[in-house]
Amino acid sequence: MDDLLLLAQKACDAAVKAGAEFVDVSAYRGRSLSVALEKCAVKSCDAHWNAGVSVRAFVRGARGWASASGLDETEALNAARNATKLATVAEPDPDFASLPEKAAYPTVEGLYDSRLAELEADELVQWAGGNIDAAREVDPEVLVSGAVRTGWSEGALANNLGVEAASHMTYVNMYVMALVKHGDDVGSYFDYDVGRVLDDFDPAGLGAKAAQEARRFLGARKIETSHMPVVLGPLAAHSTLGMVCWSANAEEVQRNRSWLAGKKGRQVASELLTLVDDPLIPQGCNSSAFDGEGFPRKPLTVVENGVLMSWLHDSYTANKANEPNTGHSTRGGIRPTNVNPKLGDLTAEQIIRDTKEGLYVPSGSLSANEVSGDVSSSVDFGFKIENGAIAYPVKNTMIAGNMLEFLRNLDAISSDYREEPGTVMPTIRIQNVRVAGGK
Amino acid sequence: MRDMLEALRDKAQQIGVDFMDVRAVEDEGTSVQLQDGKADKVSQYRQRGLGVRVLLNRAWGFASTDGYDRERAFDCLETAVAMAKASQERIGDQGVVAEAAPVEDTVLAVFEKDPRSISLDEKMKLLTQYEQAAVAAGQGKLVNTRIYYGDSVERVALCNTRGTFLDMESVRTNLGAYMAARDGEVRQKGGEHRAEQCGYELIDRLTPDDVSVKAAKRAVSLLDARRAPAGKFTVVFHPSITGLLTHEALGHNAEADLVLTGQSILDGKLGTRIAADCITIIDDGTIPGSWGSFPYDSEGTPSQRHVLIENGVLKGLMHSLETAAQMDVAPNGSARAQGYANRPIVRMSNTFIEAGAMGFEELIKDVDQGVYLTAGQWGYVFCERGQYTCSAGEGYMIRNGQLEEHLRDVCISGMTLETLMNADAVSNAFEMKMAGMCGKFGQGMHVSGGGPHVRVRDVVVGGQE
Repeated sequence: MDDLLLLAQKACDAAVKAGAEFVDVSAYRGRSLSVALEKCAVKSCDAHWNAGVSVRAFVRGARGWASASGLDETEALNAARNATKLATVAEPDPDFASLPEKAAYPTVEGLYDSRLAELEADELVQWAGGNIDAAREVDPEVLVSGAVRTGWSEGALANNLGVEAASHMTYVNMYVMALVKHGDDVGSYFDYDVGRVLDDFDPAGLGAKAAQEARRFLGARKIETSHMPVVLGPLAAHSTLGMVCWSANAEEVQRNRSWLAGKKGRQVASELLTLVDDPLIPQGCNSSAFDGEGFPRKPLTVVENGVLMSWLHDSYTANKANEPNTGHSTRGGIRPTNVNPKLGDLTAEQIIRDTKEGLYVPSGSLSANEVSGDVSSSVDFGFKIENGAIAYPVKNTMIAGNMLEFLRNLDAISSDYREEPGTVMPTIRIQNVRVAGGK
Repeated sequence: MRDMLEALRDKAQQIGVDFMDVRAVEDEGTSVQLQDGKADKVSQYRQRGLGVRVLLNRAWGFASTDGYDRERAFDCLETAVAMAKASQERIGDQGVVAEAAPVEDTVLAVFEKDPRSISLDEKMKLLTQYEQAAVAAGQGKLVNTRIYYGDSVERVALCNTRGTFLDMESVRTNLGAYMAARDGEVRQKGGEHRAEQCGYELIDRLTPDDVSVKAAKRAVSLLDARRAPAGKFTVVFHPSITGLLTHEALGHNAEADLVLTGQSILDGKLGTRIAADCITIIDDGTIPGSWGSFPYDSEGTPSQRHVLIENGVLKGLMHSLETAAQMDVAPNGSARAQGYANRPIVRMSNTFIEAGAMGFEELIKDVDQGVYLTAGQWGYVFCERGQYTCSAGEGYMIRNGQLEEHLRDVCISGMTLETLMNADAVSNAFEMKMAGMCGKFGQGMHVSGGGPHVRVRDVVVGGQE
């Protein structure tokens, strides 16, 4: 790790010497292992090493960026000089004020587990094999595909204002897709598990669960076009609510291309909705002590009782808006970390029971036009709800509306949830959604 | 470089592998972004590394590393062998590789103006010109302008135990414009891009009208457009979305690896009718300069023109060396890998529907109530169920054979086999401008698509009205 920081500092010095007014350098290396699954078998085991350096240099606010693979010092210093040269040629940006200054970082536990860093491919193959066997016990004809992946990485970040930040992390994840066929009738579904440490990873049961769920999608029907409530299961709700935080990206807002632009301090959603972005959750999948520019992380309430409270900033957008930096830089963009909603009172089961006719969507995103907020999405996996119960799977069905309408029509958030490290994912319900059907 | 790759190959043969290939990839590029009047972000990248793939005792292993360091390259081979041994625990179908004659070739990129020889100043001036033209066309309603220029040069060396050694270079240039417009509370966007495998001469062939002005006009005109309708309609697809439809609805399903693993709805349908008579679908990696073309695929098989559907009948699939051997057919050059850190998998190249004889007016004249979709944006498919989604940047209502109200962006959803059978007319116009990136198994790949206008009955339109 020390060698990465030393290399980053040397590259910073080279950029300053070449004329950069501000510069930051990231140096990183890592290794990953993956096992690809196809047709209930291992297709291939793969191992990867990667390392590199990237340099951002600023001259009169203009940004030059240069990157090189590997950790060769000559290449790193060349990248630093190149980035500076590019910044000199680019047009000045008076809105750029400064990079972050040196700061103390919070402690976030559980982002690295040496047991994961030392895993061998055959252990991944064992996990994969166990899940294939379990899926076959559910349905001997099931076709399982997917992947198991693990890896470690370490990185160092330095800038010319004294920021020196270093991190190392591990991860593990498994994704299983199960496919069952009865003649031309096909049902498919997936499940996954993720973790930053081995104790958070429990892959047993993924294959069986995916196979059981896949069978539920057999016999899918087309439905009529109409308006109805849509109940979003944990994964679909998580991606939909996460989109609110993605759209609260200050760069998108300042550039006038977010549907949330101009709405800070205003009621944008039902009072039920409170969203907190918390990067400091121990073992969280998106947790870290500092952001991409080396600014300390801290929790941020983005929506409180339906009111949009804050933008997600990096140093550039914060300085431009004269607001506090929220530490959401990816060093090239802005993104949320662990997004968690405040839980409601009813269970998911009660919400469905309380829905006379509607649609249940367990997973998939209601992808919105990022500028207008208009939504036009296919229901990749969905069930018709009739008389308060899940009735049958649907196909060739779409959902449409606008994110602001959806958020205002949000009338239930469940008390129970799916949990993955750093994130709780409840079920939610949106009233009066336009549903287009193929019937 | 060649010495090292051949030494790796020799070492693999000593180990006794069934097959081994190594790809060394070096890639560099420049991009400039002009936003709201300032070209204030300029970037350059350079990366190189190699990936070694091994078939040992009929099991696959792969390892990759950044850089061309000799010691690490040999470590990679050793690791790939260890990976293949780990795979053996749970392999299903035995790994196989089709017989193919070894090839030795050097293919340099064809271009008129090396983009690396053009100064940044000139590239920045170009973007300024495109932006000013967009602003002039924006009727004062543009609230954000972004113009993006990028070029890249990639060099790939491929060596395998069959005696193949290839040295291939490709040069890519692209230009895009993305605009946001606002009128009160209504915000809309428009985007256009052009991308080809060529040098800076791409810029000489374009004008702002083709790219930034088009994007600006779309963003502004959408401010007054209506929300699209919801339900089942006869839909007429513009060539830009015909390309997406072809790629998503049919193309992925015709990738032989998905057919062999039971993940395609085309399993068992070769030689049978799966589409209307008017539908002929081609995947062609040999089109000069097209974004999805290549001289040899990532396994060293020359690229080809594949007839996937001919007059409605499924004629062929796209193959790698492995899927060709499994299905006992000749490899046809469709195995492609992103960069050095990925294994080759079966991919499309430039995929399109062949044009017919009908004019556009004739195509819409019998449509009482339908939707005309243009400005294809993106799509995806669940192959195993044949359910696909395509996104259009704008559209028009068709009423009594005429284009009527302008419609906002909207997605459509369809079932592949129904859509192919419900296509009942294709126009005589043909465009192939859908250059983009296709994602599969975590790898992004350059592809293109296009075709004529296509009319399809009973498509689900996911509008808000």
